[in-house]
Amino acid sequence: MPHWRTKMLSRRDALTIGLAASGSALLGLKSLHSKGLAPSPLTTPFVEPLPIAAIARPVTAFATQADPTTVNVDGSTAFHVHGPRNVPAGAEYYWVEEREALHSFHPQLPPNPVWGYDGTVPGPTFIARSGTASLVRFVNSLPLANPLNIGAPVTAVHRHSGFQAPEDDGYPLDTFATGQSRDFLYPNVPEEGLQQNEPSTLWYHDHAIDTTAENVYRGLSGFFLNFDARDSLAGEEDTSPLALKLPGRMRTSASGLPIREYDIPIVIQDRKFDQAGFLSYDSFDHNGFLGDKFLANGKIQPFLKVDRRKYRFRFLNGSNARVYELFLGNNKPFDFAIGTDALLLPNPVANLPSFRIASAERVEVVIDFSKYAAGTEIILENRLEQVDGRKPGNLVQPGTPIVKFIVGSNTPPDPSRVPESLRPVFLGPAQLVPLVKVRRKFELVRSEGAWQINNLFFDENRIDARPKLGDPEIWTLSSGGGWVHPMHIHLSEFFILSRNGKPPPVLERGRKDVFRVGAGEGSIDILVRFTGYTGRYVFHCHNIEHEDMRMMAQFEVGP
Amino acid sequence: MRRAGLAMCAAVLGLAVLIAAKPPDDLPAPVTAPGSLPSRIDLIREQHLPDVPLTTQDGRAVRFYSDLVKGRIVAINFMFTSCRAACPLSTANIRDVQEALRVRLKQPVAFLSISLNPEIDTSAVLHAYAEAHGAGPGWTFLTGQRADIELLRRSLGAYDLDPELDKIPTQHTGLLIIGNEPTGRWKAIAALSHPTRLRQAIERVVLPVTEWQTGAVAVNAVPYADNAQASIRGQ
Repeated sequence: MPHWRTKMLSRRDALTIGLAASGSALLGLKSLHSKGLAPSPLTTPFVEPLPIAAIARPVTAFATQADPTTVNVDGSTAFHVHGPRNVPAGAEYYWVEEREALHSFHPQLPPNPVWGYDGTVPGPTFIARSGTASLVRFVNSLPLANPLNIGAPVTAVHRHSGFQAPEDDGYPLDTFATGQSRDFLYPNVPEEGLQQNEPSTLWYHDHAIDTTAENVYRGLSGFFLNFDARDSLAGEEDTSPLALKLPGRMRTSASGLPIREYDIPIVIQDRKFDQAGFLSYDSFDHNGFLGDKFLANGKIQPFLKVDRRKYRFRFLNGSNARVYELFLGNNKPFDFAIGTDALLLPNPVANLPSFRIASAERVEVVIDFSKYAAGTEIILENRLEQVDGRKPGNLVQPGTPIVKFIVGSNTPPDPSRVPESLRPVFLGPAQLVPLVKVRRKFELVRSEGAWQINNLFFDENRIDARPKLGDPEIWTLSSGGGWVHPMHIHLSEFFILSRNGKPPPVLERGRKDVFRVGAGEGSIDILVRFTGYTGRYVFHCHNIEHEDMRMMAQFEVGP
Repeated sequence: MRRAGLAMCAAVLGLAVLIAAKPPDDLPAPVTAPGSLPSRIDLIREQHLPDVPLTTQDGRAVRFYSDLVKGRIVAINFMFTSCRAACPLSTANIRDVQEALRVRLKQPVAFLSISLNPEIDTSAVLHAYAEAHGAGPGWTFLTGQRADIELLRRSLGAYDLDPELDKIPTQHTGLLIIGNEPTGRWKAIAALSHPTRLRQAIERVVLPVTEWQTGAVAVNAVPYADNAQASIRGQ
């Protein structure tokens, strides 16, 4: 993608929000786009409210199915075969259909045929309580006809950050196509039963071999939140002495549906649209596809009316390849960062000026709007320039607006708080590093137009690491080329011991499962330890175009 | 289109009104009515499949799109005969894949190997190279004008964003670009992946998803390998 495209975009956005104004400049820029995908049509920012995905509703228990329902045409079964599941008592059952539906990204664009879990973009938000398993049947009802020509209706569901068995991990070869379905068992118990390992913000998305990038781009992703006694569902209203009382509470909507207030997951994604306003994609861009429209929860540049009080926001970068650095447009810091990737931080980070977030990373923040007068407008914006899938560039201003918060006059009581201790770690580097016996190195290489890990292309039947259950190891992830790769390791969360030989920056001191490696980010040493499950899991670049080019390797946890 | 553009400008100029939090009801109508989706197959042809003139190893003058790609399933790589790095391995890989696919697929797959060194790789040189590597029918080696081949290379996505690396021909010899022109499904994979993985990737571009080979059969089609020791380094 040429260099001027993103620059021009932010200028356009500046135009549309009235920071600069000249209609003729707008028309003049058009002529530059004779090659490549033309820029998306103009849309007016902040005309629709930020949607908040519906909470997934349990259904009546059903008999789980054995694998014959996912037999492929040639008679083969999934790689990870399972019979009817041994579902723990008290589990909640869910039935989610992957289907096509018309979705409005913006009122100035035509409704688009997206692929969504239950037909929505993003998909329904799962709310799990620690100790209560979820059994989810994903049914593939995607159409075989695909005039939009984005994606292939064959799917695998990966619950990202999930502590789950290999057969429930959405292994890329465990696919189910149109007309098939597959049951996934999520036990929702923390690793080793330790409270320090209770996850917070997970997400689920497609992971099918050769078509993940397009399927996720088409809409197949959603949030999966986990609550426990500390970070509880009752949240700020929890009277238990254990409760953190972070912002958030449950209510019932007028139509009788559960809704979560003051605790808002927001997935940020970039997309591109053709001149007729339909989603477009470039299957020939192997570097990582960038869009020029910015979505929050499936809408282009929405607004959110907020009360004058604290809110918890769970930001997820659900983009294929873009890295963002998010700021508040009024140059005020985020009051607190409280979590990264799946876990709450041991302690909150106060007054965070901005945060960088690559594909699949999550950052949880708390913003206190009580300090703003009613009517104040605060724009969440991205100031990180990026013109191709290789790596981001410099910070630029003005940034690209993503969401506008509009502070209302309502000042409700705010019992929420951000305690100084969130998820203290009792079993971490201090205890585990002295026990490390195995060190591994994974070098990311670009080789003749494709990517390798340790000089090898991915093979589904080759094991690239064989960690033993419970044994801590140190893995070094490095990259020689001028690329940033957000590397994602399945099954667990890990401590970054050092980045470029130095202690990691403040937001990388919690545990993570996505690690930015290469170019300006450098190399990292991470403390890796797998517990609970043996078997084969993948780790890969989460720039999804790179992932689909098989920038992937796998480990097999052994006893 | 022009009218729609003007409507957009009007929306921009009328911004002061739009800033109000309430969604306005006077937004311009969607640019195109739902259902009038422009053909994505045409778009791919326009953007990625230039109809440049090329010459085959038999000296036949052809056009890239109209004679080689249109209506076909293709697997394309870039190579040059004097390349000692990846090219011979890719060529051997493609030979294996071609053989396997012939057995498995009803539809023929056209293999196109395009020289990045067209001045040296004349038809005669490519003909000799094809013979030496046992290339069977359905595998076309192509030469042409350098400018045309450069356009083709970039259009098909075989380039490096680093201009210095982009100048090195071997940087572009590692991709196999697979396309199903009639359906518009295109995919690229490393040409040095195991030939069985190349075959599977090609089949997934050719076949409807209900016939994709995934699962255990796909995984186990390549012998199990343990490379776990390779990542381990000393304390």
